[in-house]
Amino acid sequence: MNDNTLISFRDVSYRYESDTDTPLPLALKNINIDIKKGEFVAILGHNGSGKSTIAKLSNAIIMPESGKVYIKGMDTVDEKLEYDIRQTVGVVFQNPDNQIVATIVEEDVAFGPENLGIEPKEIRKRVDDALKSVGMYDYRFHQPHKLSGGQKQRVAIAGIMAMQTECIVLDEPTAMLDPKGREEVMTAMQRLNKELGITVVLITHYMDEAVKADRVIVMDSGEVVLDGTPREVFSQPDIIEHAGLELPESAKLANELRKNGVELPEGILTPEEFIEAFKFCVSGGNEK
Amino acid sequence: MIKDITLGQYFPGDSFIHKLDPRFKLIFTVFVLVEIFLCKNFLSLGLIFLFSIACGLISKISFKVIMKGLKMIYLLIFFTSALQIFYNKTGTPIEIFGGKITTGGIFTAIFMAVRIISLIFVSSLLTYTTSPTALTDGLERLLSPLKKLHIPVDTLAMMMTIALRFIPTLIEEIYKIMNAQKARGADLENGNIIKRAKALVPIFIPLFVNSFRRAYELAFAMECRCYNGSNRRTRMKKMHTGWRDIVALCVVLLILAAIILLNHFFGAVI
Ligand SMILES: Nc1ncnc2c1ncn2[C@@H]1O[C@H](COP(=O)(O)OP(=O)(O)O)[C@@H](O)[C@H]1O
Ligand SMILES: [Mg+2]
Repeated sequence: MNDNTLISFRDVSYRYESDTDTPLPLALKNINIDIKKGEFVAILGHNGSGKSTIAKLSNAIIMPESGKVYIKGMDTVDEKLEYDIRQTVGVVFQNPDNQIVATIVEEDVAFGPENLGIEPKEIRKRVDDALKSVGMYDYRFHQPHKLSGGQKQRVAIAGIMAMQTECIVLDEPTAMLDPKGREEVMTAMQRLNKELGITVVLITHYMDEAVKADRVIVMDSGEVVLDGTPREVFSQPDIIEHAGLELPESAKLANELRKNGVELPEGILTPEEFIEAFKFCVSGGNEK
Repeated sequence: MIKDITLGQYFPGDSFIHKLDPRFKLIFTVFVLVEIFLCKNFLSLGLIFLFSIACGLISKISFKVIMKGLKMIYLLIFFTSALQIFYNKTGTPIEIFGGKITTGGIFTAIFMAVRIISLIFVSSLLTYTTSPTALTDGLERLLSPLKKLHIPVDTLAMMMTIALRFIPTLIEEIYKIMNAQKARGADLENGNIIKRAKALVPIFIPLFVNSFRRAYELAFAMECRCYNGSNRRTRMKKMHTGWRDIVALCVVLLILAAIILLNHFFGAVI
């Protein structure tokens, strides 16, 4: 583990407590993950593969059954470090309705910094900055329950940003949103990462979102089955399918066309790449 | 009907009333509520009623909204007034539709109705013009001496904020569940009272179950944002006491004096 590592899972296993006498199976099995400062990591996996468990472990909400979770070298088991850990890694959850505490947008964003005991003036500045960077500044006096899903989720992101954490973990932030809301949230996350240098861990089951990450981790039944750049990961369609996932739409289409004799290059992931390759292919065909 | 619940709703604005210090606003509201109960005749009650209307005008909140809030208590007003009319036997008797009622009854009925309307009017004005956070913060400050008695005032204030925050969310959810049950053929609108009450069970059970899930998730989210119920929180918005609060204090005291005088020099209705 070097200085650049922000989140580090070392042989982590986790089991949820059972209501009955028979213990539940492990939700995570010997996970090893290292996330570096400034990375944009997507974690993919089908329902129940253990993604949310990773999010909760990285924020000291739950502790590993065995193994260690380190946040910037801080062991999450240490209760004294709880505060420092939560100031380093913030989590945005799936349902925006259940994480907004206050009745006015700006007051909700202020909730985190207020808990940290920060000076009122500084809170004001942080709140305004956070709302601006997710594009919700104009809505600062609105009531959260009157906002759209995408807007609510951006408020939730701003709430974590105002705590000035180095890393934001988002647990399926777009799962309950329509395409427009997804787009808004995705843009906000990319801005955080590219412009502010915040480390982003995006848990999702949308392939098209994962493609935009620097790195993709694929989970299956509590285990990491793939870990690499989107190109590396999506060049393993068998493992992806075995993990109960599908390739991104563009990759699927390209594969199908290739099977049917259209000469497209390997490794197409995004619609843009597809269009580029397809244009080249079509024009190439015309010239012959 | 549920949509008419405007309890805890807040309408942002920058009127004189909006800008009062929430602590003082709370005190003033309680003060005015007491004043309403002190009124003994139509003159003093009329004064306080006009005062409430004036406050409504100053707050620039549309009367339509305030009337909507009153809708819920029309029934209450109706019954209290009816009771007065039929049971109060003071004053000159008059005969209408074969029944006997008295002028005393009519006057008390009107008096009660105006009193209830003023009470609701003033208290809803408080929530309409104060953001729930400011309201609970104000309450927390006012009650902070109780902390010495180990009463967790700040935790109670947080509970109140969350309750206010979730009222609209839960109302929305009730609608969703009602529609889902209707789509499954549930009949919520017909039948006698017992039948209808029974039809509500499949609405409230999912609501409760969902609320527990919500509470669980919210607790996680709050923990993530470093809330633990015991830390000393700071506030983004400081409360300022200003000239407005002093003006308001003078007005409220003047009205008190006026009510006492009016009560003293003119006959009492009740
Ligand atoms: N509170 C809980 N109690 C018991 N089992 C749980 C609980 N939360 C999750 N699980 C189980 O743990 C496994 C991993 O869940 P989770 O991390 O939520 O998956 P994901 O977020 O990828 O859908 C699943 O098998 C799930 O059923
Ligand atoms: Mg999950």
